[in-house]
Amino acid sequence: MSIIAYVKQEWAALWQSPWQVALVSYIPIVSILCLWWLFSAGLPKQLPVAVVDQDNSQISRMLTRQMTANSVISVESYADLTQAQDAMRQASVYAVVVIPHQFKQQLITGRSPTIDIRYNSQYLLVGKLLSSQIQMSLGAGLLKTAAQKLLLSGVNHASVAVNLSPVSSQTTALFNRNNNYVGFLVPPVLIALWQLLAMMIFTNALNRELITQQNQVLLPHDLWVRVLAKCMVFLPIMLLHSSFILVLLYQYLSLPHAGEVGVLVVSQAVMLLALWLLVTLIFLIMKEPARCVSFCTALFAPAFAFMGITFPINEMPTIAQYWRLVMPSSHYIDTHVNVISYGADPLEVIGQLVSYWMFLPLIPVVVVLWLKANKTPLSAENTNFSSRAIQQITEEDK
Amino acid sequence: MSLLQLYFAEWRALLADKAIVVTLFGGVVFYSVLYPLPYLNQVPTEQTVVVVDHDNSSLSRKLIRHADASPKIQIVSHATNIDEAKHLIQQGHAHGLLVIPSGFRRNLMLGKGATLSYGGDASYFLIYSAVAEGLVEAGMDASKQVQLVGLLARGENPAMAQKSLSPVNLNAVPVFNPSLGYTPYVVPGLFLLILHQTLLIGTGILGAGQWRNKGYWLEVKPLKLLSVRLAMFTSLYLLFASFYIGYCFYAYQVSMLGSFIETVLLILPFLLATGAVGVALSCLFVRRDIPTQIYLLSSMPILFVAGFVWPTALIPEPLVVISQIIPAIPAMNAMLKLNQMGAGWSAILSHWIQLWGIFALACLLAWWGIKHRQSEAESINQ
Repeated sequence: MSIIAYVKQEWAALWQSPWQVALVSYIPIVSILCLWWLFSAGLPKQLPVAVVDQDNSQISRMLTRQMTANSVISVESYADLTQAQDAMRQASVYAVVVIPHQFKQQLITGRSPTIDIRYNSQYLLVGKLLSSQIQMSLGAGLLKTAAQKLLLSGVNHASVAVNLSPVSSQTTALFNRNNNYVGFLVPPVLIALWQLLAMMIFTNALNRELITQQNQVLLPHDLWVRVLAKCMVFLPIMLLHSSFILVLLYQYLSLPHAGEVGVLVVSQAVMLLALWLLVTLIFLIMKEPARCVSFCTALFAPAFAFMGITFPINEMPTIAQYWRLVMPSSHYIDTHVNVISYGADPLEVIGQLVSYWMFLPLIPVVVVLWLKANKTPLSAENTNFSSRAIQQITEEDK
Repeated sequence: MSLLQLYFAEWRALLADKAIVVTLFGGVVFYSVLYPLPYLNQVPTEQTVVVVDHDNSSLSRKLIRHADASPKIQIVSHATNIDEAKHLIQQGHAHGLLVIPSGFRRNLMLGKGATLSYGGDASYFLIYSAVAEGLVEAGMDASKQVQLVGLLARGENPAMAQKSLSPVNLNAVPVFNPSLGYTPYVVPGLFLLILHQTLLIGTGILGAGQWRNKGYWLEVKPLKLLSVRLAMFTSLYLLFASFYIGYCFYAYQVSMLGSFIETVLLILPFLLATGAVGVALSCLFVRRDIPTQIYLLSSMPILFVAGFVWPTALIPEPLVVISQIIPAIPAMNAMLKLNQMGAGWSAILSHWIQLWGIFALACLLAWWGIKHRQSEAESINQ
């Protein structure tokens, strides 16, 4: 039987299983779109902040207006501090700003009053953002008052600004100018999802090859050709989905990208092969459908945490850094960031593929496991077996 | 079959299934170590920054030393121009950039003002915020010192000078997670989700493996089977939940502000509702390898829609509404409010009632589903 025949057989088998068809067709598209929709707001805005104004002076109201003018903050006024605290505990506001009693009086009489800001760091992302934004808004407001004070004390108009802040600063978010969460979080999330899908599809396809005869699990004697045929069928399909992700993010949403996006497909193909090598290894060890799926799930479900996008790699414990290298997605995401943010050229991308070398030693292990496994006798007609397997599947699906 | 016999029969069915044992016992223990592993160091520190110093004055060197002294920043190299610095960042040798303009010290001493430029790699938000915070602090510090020198030169007395530099103190303090650590942020919600997903997978595989085979599950009344199965899974998961909330939260230094009774009262409807949803959905499966896959795919969306990673206010309304039928969503929110933010029982009462509501609805569906499966098996056997 030629390899073309195996590919045709694999293709036919794919259509026999409704779950596999779902996995290669609408499930990826629906989940990709849903996850993007979830984060589609992109920039956090109008997050509720409780302001307790105990001073009720002209300055305190000005400060409140300053915060209202910030797009990230949505001011909610509370008369009572305990109510604001309760709202904070119930997560209906993410921060509390307290302007103390006699704030203006203290300011005028030359004492330094304190504005208390409490932000909810249980919601780390929101809390940190609000903390900096509230301080920025209040700082801008207070600068105006300070400028008046300086003018009153006789400083000339030209030097007021310099007196207030001799060193001004200009902070630039490199590679993601407006701190857009879609550009930051959605690509790794979608890659993690895509890796899970590729893992499942290949596991299911492999599980189909298991033959149970007289309570003994057998593998077809031509398994390696079949695995090759599976790669040839599923590689284009999965690359189609990853291209859909790239087109959605960098063409339709036109997120900024410094390098050539198309070259990423090469890296994705290598990632898939590494992933499927791992899956084949697990399959040869487990040789039982549900256990194989469970084990692969346990292995690849936390891949997102180990990508090092949300939490920097160099801050991970050493053992986590090693575990990270077991996940093909971590190798890929490095290339992805290099291309999208730093504009790596195709040659550098090819160079980075070297990092997958650590998957190569798996090949001899797989071969040894394959040689040791119980196989069907060579004489048996393989078409017979595969048709039996297909029959089994269709029966199960009914 | 008496209830007790049935209870033990359920246990035997569970323990005899290696796939379930691997997922439940293996998964729960494995994930409790693996998921928080990358975050054990809590906060990003000593982020690498490259400096472009066009000034080379005493003040610019002082500024660089101060920046390097910040726990958030480590100055790794000096570049002669911005292009070189950019190259270093692209090579991954540095994640941040500090540019000191030429004439920095001179301009400040002449009272003209100067601008410092900071840059951080915003491909990684935590790195960016660490770099930006560290550099802004160092810059403000330098600014204050120059101002102070100026004021003192003009003959202000030192005490007054200090005050006029900072007329208002902004006292910003993080609450509920005072260290701004990453594990207290991720672990409380994530661990409930792990319990939720493994419980669903367990009930799913158990059901999928049974409906087409003969056994006690086809003989007892649907309501009896449902209640005993729920009792079995709930007793097992009370053990797992004790391990997670009792030991792991303690080990990962996650705050526990709720009382024991309140926590148990919350966990109980969560486990019951999840178990009931699991049994109800298990009636849809006949292949044992499918439940794991479906629940795995749903994990990430559930985690993100829960509202602690990405604020609920920014999630599209339809997604939030649909997500409310998943037991993990009210449970995670209630757990965060009760244990991490110290809200009273009244604050989580609505979530608690919602969990019981899901439980009641799922029980109804599960009862109907089991009944359907049993009659189907009967018609095949006849």
